[in-house]
Amino acid sequence: MSTDAKQALQIANRRRWRRTVVRHSILIGWGLIIMFPIFWMIQTSFKDAHEWVTWPPHWVPQDPTLKNYEQIFTFDVQQSGVAREATEQPFNIWGAVADSLIICTTSALIALFMGAFLAYGISRFNVGGGKFRHSVLIIRMIPPIVIAIPLLMYYAIMVPLASETVLGFRLSLFDTQFGMSLLYITITLPFVIWMMLSFIDEVPYTLEHAARIMGAGRLYTLRRVVLPLVASGMVVTFLFVFILNWAEFLLSLTLTHPDVSTLPVLLNKFQSASEGRLYGPQAAIGTVITIPVVVLGVLIQKHLIKGFSFGTIRK
Amino acid sequence: MAQIGLKEVVKKFGDFVAVNGVSLDVHDGEFLILVGPSGCGKTTTLNMISGLESPTSGEIIIGNRVVNDIEPGERGLGMVFQDLALFPHMTVFENIAFGLRVKKTLEPDIDRQVRAAAEAMHILPLLGKRPAQCSGGESQRVALARTIVNDPSVFLMDEPLSSLDAKLRVDMRTELKALHERLNATFVYVTHDQAEAMTMADRIVVMNGGLVEQIGGPLDIYDKPASRFVAGFFGTPTMNFLQGEIVAANGALTFQCEHIEHFLAENTPDSLAGKQVILGVRSEHVVVNSGGQQGQVKLIEPLGDVSLVFFESGGQEQLVAKVAPELRFSSGDQLTFGFQAAKCHLFDFDSGTRLN
Ligand SMILES: Nc1ncnc2c1ncn2[C@@H]1O[C@H](COP(=O)(O)OP(=O)(O)O)[C@@H](O)[C@H]1O
Ligand SMILES: [Mg+2]
Repeated sequence: MSTDAKQALQIANRRRWRRTVVRHSILIGWGLIIMFPIFWMIQTSFKDAHEWVTWPPHWVPQDPTLKNYEQIFTFDVQQSGVAREATEQPFNIWGAVADSLIICTTSALIALFMGAFLAYGISRFNVGGGKFRHSVLIIRMIPPIVIAIPLLMYYAIMVPLASETVLGFRLSLFDTQFGMSLLYITITLPFVIWMMLSFIDEVPYTLEHAARIMGAGRLYTLRRVVLPLVASGMVVTFLFVFILNWAEFLLSLTLTHPDVSTLPVLLNKFQSASEGRLYGPQAAIGTVITIPVVVLGVLIQKHLIKGFSFGTIRK
Repeated sequence: MAQIGLKEVVKKFGDFVAVNGVSLDVHDGEFLILVGPSGCGKTTTLNMISGLESPTSGEIIIGNRVVNDIEPGERGLGMVFQDLALFPHMTVFENIAFGLRVKKTLEPDIDRQVRAAAEAMHILPLLGKRPAQCSGGESQRVALARTIVNDPSVFLMDEPLSSLDAKLRVDMRTELKALHERLNATFVYVTHDQAEAMTMADRIVVMNGGLVEQIGGPLDIYDKPASRFVAGFFGTPTMNFLQGEIVAANGALTFQCEHIEHFLAENTPDSLAGKQVILGVRSEHVVVNSGGQQGQVKLIEPLGDVSLVFFESGGQEQLVAKVAPELRFSSGDQLTFGFQAAKCHLFDFDSGTRLN
């Protein structure tokens, strides 16, 4: 090899290496920016009150404590004496964990079930006409705050009144798991339809035709052919909707109190007259409610990759 | 009990007429091939037989009953699709067993029948694999086994070989024909490949633009095409077409165009005199080095057993002749040529229908 060629190769190599370094630096920098709040939340959750707000900041807890976790996990806060004297904070998270789990799981499952069938109808039979699939997401154009107050009217006044007149007893949707689930189903259904449409559209018609000619009915074909092929997509959709509900704050804040409380609303309740926001317990709750999302994500990673890379079905 | 009848069947998609009044009879045990260019309505016709599409008007009869309103699964048909439509999430075994499971066959019977079908198609070792792990030819056999196992009296096939490479496709032709012989079932087969149609069919239905152009045995169609379209569709290289006029002179009819004059066969009807026509003649019926016409060689394609000579007459008419390979030409050579009078086809200039 001539020295010229060698030099050219070296320059090319160096250039490629430099490009790699730049690219990775940018990614790492970006990663740090993204991860920092999570890091801060986690480390705050191990700090006692005097370390929550300090200057200069304590990058790591100087005397780490599990007090925050003890508080949010303790069943009977007052008796076991972990509540801070000054705050008399009476809350633990167990009630909200149950509420959140029940509301988010049932609503995501029901929305997924309904949405999958609706999407099938739209994909295969053009239900609602040709443009319907594009108008499904219109609900996203309405900010939640706009519907929060009207919904409160329905949940707290109209429905109880109507049920009392018609059925003879008061049925209130306000501050109930049922009411919250109903609401979450309604607002996430468009997402489910939209996502499931993209998966079901991927399943070739001829697979269903083949099944039909072999004598299979619609439901049998759906169960044995279509649904198994979009299973990954259903898992992804479920997860997406579950997280959406798991983190929903505004509507839950408006439509519950005092019996039912989802985790984000509960987190917000951790403040006291004397100390203001209780950053420690709030960070602990934040950490705790992030864990199931991460765990779910890891567990279904295989499906996530398959589901998010849409063109999954080999023809 | 497996004859099929189509009576004036029409299929419209909105305003678009995909099938425009097709009538045909498929005899019991016949290998019938629907052939035509892409978009001529073959698949639509097949889908109406299978029940996947319902006709806009007309009747579909299978056996002795009108099946217009009968579900595809109850028509006693098996179908092999163009994209094969194997279920990607099931093993080959489950794919083949699908129809049996629908019919709630007992588990030991399923196992026995699936194995028998797989054995017949030589795919026993594949039973545990997924379709994605099978080669094109193997997938083809799986699709056939999945159909055979349900023991239908009619097999519908929509371009089942189109995804295979050329060599395999030719092999599969022979195999399909053997399969037809063995099963004794009625086959309705769709293809756009005229060679496939010629080699396999008992009878061929040539379609064009939603209409049937001709129905007949392969050689009938080859020797006596009913229209210019059919003549051009069958045979390689494509038939030579010349546009000209029929002239009566001295009691004989001749075909005349600018540079070519050709005496027509004696049995040509006299009534054709003075008509504008298209004369068609296949390359193997063009005789070279005899006859009264002059031409200049443009291109030679030696195929081994024969050679194709592409030549021009009068610097205008493009023609091709199939000649013995011993005849060596090179481009630029002059040659003389003529047509075998009995093998010339005359088509109406406007409608393209056969005249002689
Ligand atoms: N579902 C449909 N909607 C509208 N047009 C269709 C539909 N199916 C087929 N066509 C049209 O009908 C014509 C015939 O189609 P097809 O039967 O698939 O042709 P072939 O199988 O001969 O290639 C084509 O022009 C095609 O575009
Ligand atoms: Mg087709």
